[in-house]
Amino acid sequence: MKIDIKTIKEGEESITVRYFEPNPTVERIIGILQNEEYKVWGKTDGMTICIEPKDILYLESVDDKVFAYTKDAVARIEGSLYSFSSSVNDDSFFRCSKSMIINVGRVSSLKSLPSNRIDATLENGEHIIISRRYAAEFRRFLKGDR
Amino acid sequence: MKSDKKLSLWERYLTTEIGIEFKACLYFFAILFFYCMYRMICGVFNASILHMAEMIFTCYIIGYLQVYLFWNFDEAETLGVKEIAGMVICTFIYGLISRLCNWFDGKLTVTFILAAYILITYLCVFLIYKTKRSIGDKKLNEELRLFQAEHKKVKDSGK
Repeated sequence: MKIDIKTIKEGEESITVRYFEPNPTVERIIGILQNEEYKVWGKTDGMTICIEPKDILYLESVDDKVFAYTKDAVARIEGSLYSFSSSVNDDSFFRCSKSMIINVGRVSSLKSLPSNRIDATLENGEHIIISRRYAAEFRRFLKGDR
Repeated sequence: MKSDKKLSLWERYLTTEIGIEFKACLYFFAILFFYCMYRMICGVFNASILHMAEMIFTCYIIGYLQVYLFWNFDEAETLGVKEIAGMVICTFIYGLISRLCNWFDGKLTVTFILAAYILITYLCVFLIYKTKRSIGDKKLNEELRLFQAEHKKVKDSGK
């Protein structure tokens, strides 16, 4: 990426970011410039939208594609679940299965299921099953044992 | 974001095994109680070690069947047709083994009473697990609310 830095004597200070497609680096730069928290850029119906992590209900990986689900939109985002989890500065995201990350802050209720699994009901009424493999860690996560 | 600390295959296997051991102990105790009552009613005040060994092995084997073949029916969420079928089949196996091993001196009536007793035990265990889960749900949701409140507080203070 070409970096063009100019010193000016007068006029308004400005920064222009030029890119072909949004990517994690560009998104991070924009986030820093806007002095905002990490944001996710995703594609939905041919449009690129910006999603705040707190609005995400859960993320799902399907055939190596990652989708972010909000209350009213589903957007395909760049990168992997791992890259999302390492970039997001929000402790309410929990890896609840091999292919899913759930936003615990947007869970409306929890229900214990047989075989030590947990059924998490999200704010939009969707149910996410936390497998036995991750349930014990989830219980510790809720207790603040992180 | 939480690090990925999931249960290993060994830990999952161990959890299932402990569950089966617990079931074996629970049902062995229930059958042993029935057996002792029967012996006392018959005026016999000692128990056969061989019968007890047969009972514990039967409970272990049926514990495995319950978990791996019959949908772990006593820990099921709801009591459907397959769960009831599992209960009936396991009860039948208990009844059959009690006759083959002559636990009740070949008395058919006692075998039928044992079958009814085991069915009631299964229903009670099902209800106990259900109640336990319901109490667990309340605790889990309390912890969820606490987590969300704390998280909100941290976020608000960071703004």
